[in-house]
Amino acid sequence: MSDKPSKRYVFIFTFIMCLVSGLLLTAASTVLKERQNRNIEIDKQKNVLKSVGLINKEVVYSNSDIESLFKENIREYFVGPSGEILESNKNANDLLQLYLYNKKSKLVSYIIPIETRGLWGKIKGYLALNNDGSTIVGFSVYSHAETPGLGGEIEQGWFQDNFVGKRIINDKNSFVSISIAKGRVKDAISEDMKDNYVDGISGATLTGSYLSKGLSSILARYEKVSVRFRQDYLKNRPSN
Amino acid sequence: MGLRNSEIYNTFIDGIWDENPVTKQVLGICSALAVTVKLNTAFVMAMSLTVVAAFSGLIISMLRKKIPSNIRIIVELTVIATLVIIADQILKAYLYDISKQLSVFVGLIITNCIIMGRAESFAMVNPPHLSFADGLGNGLGYGLILMLVAFIRELLGSGTLFGFDVIPEFLIKFGYKNMGIMVLAPGAFFVIGMLVWLKNSITGIDEENL
Repeated sequence: MSDKPSKRYVFIFTFIMCLVSGLLLTAASTVLKERQNRNIEIDKQKNVLKSVGLINKEVVYSNSDIESLFKENIREYFVGPSGEILESNKNANDLLQLYLYNKKSKLVSYIIPIETRGLWGKIKGYLALNNDGSTIVGFSVYSHAETPGLGGEIEQGWFQDNFVGKRIINDKNSFVSISIAKGRVKDAISEDMKDNYVDGISGATLTGSYLSKGLSSILARYEKVSVRFRQDYLKNRPSN
Repeated sequence: MGLRNSEIYNTFIDGIWDENPVTKQVLGICSALAVTVKLNTAFVMAMSLTVVAAFSGLIISMLRKKIPSNIRIIVELTVIATLVIIADQILKAYLYDISKQLSVFVGLIITNCIIMGRAESFAMVNPPHLSFADGLGNGLGYGLILMLVAFIRELLGSGTLFGFDVIPEFLIKFGYKNMGIMVLAPGAFFVIGMLVWLKNSITGIDEENL
């Protein structure tokens, strides 16, 4: 090795090296792709179920458990331009996606897919709303690139449990969305807005503000559906 | 015993104890802080690193007479990176939940000083069987410390081991609380520091070679 290798040798060696490792990586990726995609799909389904509270934290679920649980309870629909819910559509790509959770053929909640900008990358998850069209049932995140321990806390239970029972409308029944407070809700937010804010993450103000903006614009896009749910809910409510 | 004095055995044991990468060489600390909140992530990380260390040692050592010396670092890195990406792909396919928790840290095995250090200082100048044993020893030595740190952190920080509750009911009734700091990075620093201290007080420090 004391002699300096010829340039030709270095080039040939590098070429073979690249070829071999390239082939190995392609092979690994091709062979495992199907399994990985299935895992990603199941992880999404798990988070849909989590947002409506069908996942028990104490229980370990197998892949097929998740699939059957999802199949039993959740259906995918689309939202038409004036807020109507459609089975499926040839223009499905232009339409908003929506999941419905039915329990014994009674609608319990609807689930809105969340995809928004975070501080370092996209935040993807689900926000489930009660059939009254205004109360949040749950929030879950299945993919993000925020800093672990800071913005990454959005995937933690304490942050997500924060959302349960909060509302996207104010006392006067007009839409205000849900936002992440800077600090704790009980210190930072005035009394009349407390229902529309969740506790923030210390050290992750920016993640919070991007998520707030994202949730607000997504919920605004779904507002027509939410209005329909609110009207239906009022209609069906037993008068007293 | 032939085994105890064989070269392979000594190389292997050096990595685990005398030359332990974490407590003696203080390498791989970054990932040792990040993945040791829970035992199961630490275990998968330790296994991945061991496999990569052993096989990169083996492959680089087999190629060592062929690798042009002026690009040897790049070649070593290519071998390591290829192995790490394959390991990451396998985890994504078969252990998706854990691979999600490990997030970038599996990918960062590529830059782990232990692997690169062993490739450059050992595998480049030793025959394949010894390099494999050296990688295995260093990987397991790192893994052992990782598991110890994770054991202490998970037990004190979350009150669980491998996800199972181990703190008896009556202690919680008496007001037992989990130590929040153990879940955070500083907790790992304290634990690793104490393990380095413990190891050095058992073996003694060779002041000459510091």
